[in-house]
Amino acid sequence: MIRRMSHATIFVNNQNEALEFYRDKLGFRVHTDAMVGEDFRWLTMCTEDDPDFELILMEPKPGMLMDDATSQQLRAIMNKGVLGAGVFNTDDCRGTYEELKAKGVQFVSEPAERPYGVEAVFKDNSGNWFSLTQPTEGN
Amino acid sequence: MVRRIEDLETLERLDRARDFIDHCYDHPLSLDQISEKACFSRYHFLRLFRQAFNKTPHQYLIERRIEKAKELLGGDELRVTDVCYEVGFQSLGSFSTLFHRYVGHAPITYREKVKQREQAKRQVPGCFLVMYKLESA
Repeated sequence: MIRRMSHATIFVNNQNEALEFYRDKLGFRVHTDAMVGEDFRWLTMCTEDDPDFELILMEPKPGMLMDDATSQQLRAIMNKGVLGAGVFNTDDCRGTYEELKAKGVQFVSEPAERPYGVEAVFKDNSGNWFSLTQPTEGN
Repeated sequence: MVRRIEDLETLERLDRARDFIDHCYDHPLSLDQISEKACFSRYHFLRLFRQAFNKTPHQYLIERRIEKAKELLGGDELRVTDVCYEVGFQSLGSFSTLFHRYVGHAPITYREKVKQREQAKRQVPGCFLVMYKLESA
């Protein structure tokens, strides 16, 4: 039986810039940051509340998992901003929206009532978009 | 422009000399000894070897030794000094200098880096190491 998800990969343009964005703007913290190979940096981040779920921030690079063409294609798709990467939960969507917006986070849609709660959509600095949802109680 | 060697017999003789380096890199090898394996005079051999492999026999020998040293430094059975003599260098000084030139770090720093990486690897789910070709399946 599959119980829960512990890691998920988000492809980013640049690991240093992504680290700063997720830490300084979104309020995440670094879970693990280690050079594992000559050119392979294992960088994962988590929210304060859920250190057991790690977001792996990975650069598409040729030479390991991908060939040159694949990594370029992935970067191109990423930069188009069409990759939706997930849903983050919050207790206060409007408050968090204001807070993140003040820090310069780009929002695709403002907080709005949905059948399941209040939801806004923002992008990280690599073009990945995320839902920021305040679930209605019971959802 | 460098002309490629196309004469098969010459190439075979050069290969023989290169194989000799591959097998005996841990011994002190002179150009005379190496060129003898190919049955060429030393200067003729030097020129042909460089033409065929883009490096001198000496450079090839050093690279082979450094490669082996990296392998041994990755483990922890031998001290740096032992590694130096094990791969055929005669002095620790020239080993360190050459190692630094080829690898970018001193031997001891290289060993520490490998160790750090090995420790770091333990934090990464194995499937990622395999998918990203840092380990074989």
